[in-house]
Amino acid sequence: MTTAGYEGTQDSMFLKQLKKTFLDWSLFRKVMSFVLFLVAWSLIVIAVDYFQQIPTPKAVLMALFDIPFTAILLHIAKSFFRVLAGFFLGILIGFPMGVAIGYSRVLKCLIFPAFEMIRPIPPIAWIPMSVLFFVHIESQIVFLTFYGAFFPIVYNTMGGISEVDIRLPRAAMSFGLDRKRMLMKVILPAAMPQIFTGMRLAMGITWILVVAAEMMANKGGMGYYVWYNHTVMDYPHVVLGMGIIGLCGAICSIGINAVGNYFTRWRRIF
Amino acid sequence: MTNPAAEALDRDFPYRHPTLKDKIINQNTLLSVISIISLFVLWWLLVHFRVYRFSLLPSPAEVLEEGAIWVQTNVFWFDTLATTLRVLVGVLAAYLTAIPLGLMIGWRKNFSDLTFPTLELLRPIPAPAYLPLAILLLPWQEASVAFIPFIDAFFPVLLNTITGVKLIDRDYFRAARCLGSSPKQIFWHIVLPGALPSISSGCAIGMGIGWMGAVVGEMITGKWGLGYRIWESYTLTRYALIVDGMVAIGILGFASSVLIRYLTVKMIPWRRAITEALDESITQ
Repeated sequence: MTTAGYEGTQDSMFLKQLKKTFLDWSLFRKVMSFVLFLVAWSLIVIAVDYFQQIPTPKAVLMALFDIPFTAILLHIAKSFFRVLAGFFLGILIGFPMGVAIGYSRVLKCLIFPAFEMIRPIPPIAWIPMSVLFFVHIESQIVFLTFYGAFFPIVYNTMGGISEVDIRLPRAAMSFGLDRKRMLMKVILPAAMPQIFTGMRLAMGITWILVVAAEMMANKGGMGYYVWYNHTVMDYPHVVLGMGIIGLCGAICSIGINAVGNYFTRWRRIF
Repeated sequence: MTNPAAEALDRDFPYRHPTLKDKIINQNTLLSVISIISLFVLWWLLVHFRVYRFSLLPSPAEVLEEGAIWVQTNVFWFDTLATTLRVLVGVLAAYLTAIPLGLMIGWRKNFSDLTFPTLELLRPIPAPAYLPLAILLLPWQEASVAFIPFIDAFFPVLLNTITGVKLIDRDYFRAARCLGSSPKQIFWHIVLPGALPSISSGCAIGMGIGWMGAVVGEMITGKWGLGYRIWESYTLTRYALIVDGMVAIGILGFASSVLIRYLTVKMIPWRRAITEALDESITQ
């Protein structure tokens, strides 16, 4: 190995490092992904006659400046309230139920078959029943979101608990843990990843339900905002509304991920 | 056998294979039957004794009566056919687009960088929010209703396909490259078969969500179909028919999910264990 060759490798290493820090092609492509999407969208709308009613990205951006600001904040707050109320009710009732079903065979046999009878009915199909049963519009929508969140949470909690590696409770038992600590320190932490999978699913379904219910209900919320702008043919605001709904959904799932990371922090050790 | 204690145990408590009777009649089955019966009894009691607003809801007997009449009409069969076709068209379109896209995204880093961020941007938008655009874009109303199951099914199938490709052992790719495989061969012999178990569970999930999407679309803009029928029954105050519609949708959705699962398990005899594990980890 000559000195020149050695210096050469040094040089290329340095260049590599430089490229890594300043010329991240992967990041560049990721940014290009959005750019290409926007360009393709505008080109299609401008060039193809058939799509001319679709708003261009520019029109959507312009719509951003003339939104009724307080009204839209109210819509967002309403949607958020409905989603979160249903979601937390779902956790409040679904989580203990899932733990009970996952923990006890008798309870599982007693509750599970009845659930299996109800579960295939999509939550949306409960809208008429919910309208019939609940007097107040908020409770109608919250019932729907609750119902949508309930089954994913129960099923994943149950699945998570029944799939805990049997060696963990056995080891804990041989250390003489009592039942309560076994549940809190061994079984629940081990089941947490799947419980949070269920919560993420539940959050996705609640947003679908809230938008569908608001579209039908005419009582405010982002779904209503989108549908109202559709009826008055204000399509830039429709797209904007979709974007805001997507953003709200993304914020919710990021929040769940953050909480989930905290509860499954034992995973980082491995 | 030399262990006297084990011999004594075998003599006193001989092992008996569980017979069919043991499998059918046991505590679990008994409890399950009690569970299902108590569901209906509870429903009947709540309606019969007019607890709170349950007096408005139909009783099981009314639902059965109305349902028996409804099944005999042509309307029922027409609605069922319409909804099933919408779901099938939407979900199959989702399969046809999401599976190739997912395979490419999972396999090719460059392709993934170029497409996946945009898809991630669109993913949190719930399917019903696309409805106004679908109505605007698609001239035919049937197509705009089928668009919602398409969007609903697209993302679960896509994400499961990507996960399926990512879960393939890297050594398979290395081995194939060592043996001089072309990218085409790698795709057909490693990427596709390796991802199929995960794709199949994605397809089952997509089918389940697709039913929900079709019902949403029909309730909001439909002129016929099961979702429209239950909403119409509400406005016509034929409340028993609402429950019948819900039951019909439930049965059809369940049957189609089971069918998809059965077909895919038959098609992919390898790594069945992995499919089952995935199925259990991602319910609904």
